[in-house]
Amino acid sequence: MTPFPLKIVTPDGLIFDGQAEKLIVRTTNGDVAILARHINYVAALGMGRAVVVADGKRRTAACIGGMLSVVDGEVTLVPTTFEWADKIDANRAELSLQRANKVLQDKNSTNTDIRLAEARLHRALVRKNVASYK
Amino acid sequence: MAGVSTKEIKNRIRSMESTKQITKAMEMVAASKLRRAQAQISNSRPYFQIFYSAIQEILQANRDFQSPYLLELPVKKRLYIVIAGDRGLAGGYNSNILKLVYAEMEQTEAVVLPIGKKAVDFFRARKIPALTEQYAEAADVDIGDCFSISKQLSSAYLAREFDEIRVAYTTFVSVLSQNPATMRLLPLSRDEQTGEPVSRSRMIYEQDSESVFASIVPEYLGGILYGALCESRASEQAARRAAMDSATQNADDMIADLSLKFNRARQAAITQEITEIVAGS
Repeated sequence: MTPFPLKIVTPDGLIFDGQAEKLIVRTTNGDVAILARHINYVAALGMGRAVVVADGKRRTAACIGGMLSVVDGEVTLVPTTFEWADKIDANRAELSLQRANKVLQDKNSTNTDIRLAEARLHRALVRKNVASYK
Repeated sequence: MAGVSTKEIKNRIRSMESTKQITKAMEMVAASKLRRAQAQISNSRPYFQIFYSAIQEILQANRDFQSPYLLELPVKKRLYIVIAGDRGLAGGYNSNILKLVYAEMEQTEAVVLPIGKKAVDFFRARKIPALTEQYAEAADVDIGDCFSISKQLSSAYLAREFDEIRVAYTTFVSVLSQNPATMRLLPLSRDEQTGEPVSRSRMIYEQDSESVFASIVPEYLGGILYGALCESRASEQAARRAAMDSATQNADDMIADLSLKFNRARQAAITQEITEIVAGS
């Protein structure tokens, strides 16, 4: 397959910079796959699994928040967090999941607490799910 | 020698030396933390540049574009996010930024969101209402916190709880110079330079540009906040390093001065003793 230049940048630094053949990410509207020679495109990212195929190798990652842009054939992914499946701390995700569940079951939680807990639950579920792909 | 006993001087030299050891150690710690903080700044920089240019591109591509994030209203109530340090002994780092914000605040009604123990204490002492004091440890605030702050603030802004949100932080110019500054987060300002908007007009947006815009703005703010935090942290370490460096130098000067005095006093005592022996024989 024809490769295209892909850059993955998070606030913690450059995660990936090189040629890739395929990128699958979850946008706010669902999964999209980007191949070479894609038209100029911008989308906001949701929370979900991302797949990068480079040199015929397929790598899975948890990709949360941020934005995807394709400008003149160059693909840039700027997620809030991006963790390769083998780097995910499954125990931490499990703990975070339990903590979120506790807040959600507590009848005295305020609205903001519930909103934050829901987001945390969602992130933890994504991470746990992705961690099982390694 | 008039009055000062050698023992007294010796004690002072000893205490000065232990002070010097402490300041020297603090300087070294600050220098190593500074290196880490600088690496963090350069790691996160590409992220903002890409995000910033994406937002400006959306704004450039459609001139008639409207969003509540862009609306400029007369400012009645301001929110300041103030980033200061947790500890003192960092030269003018804390007082410079706090003074700057305090002077700006007098113009309008203001609420603060202090980050860092020094900021929390400062505004509490002056009875300025704080949105939350949960971020009292600037060293513990991570990127997740920045994003939850920005999400909370974005929705508060859309609910018109504030008319303007500013962040006060210390820009890291170089190891030797750091400037306190305030920057407007919301409403967003449009860049007035009109670059090459030709290819941009054929950009496809998932759903439409306005909903993409609405969902990336909070992320963008979180990113800026994180960047400001990184800069402030680096500035704090740089300021501390410089302050401790000059403290060490001062200690050196004083030790040299005292050693001279000590030697003179010792010499005087010897001379006196000899005189007494000679006079007695």
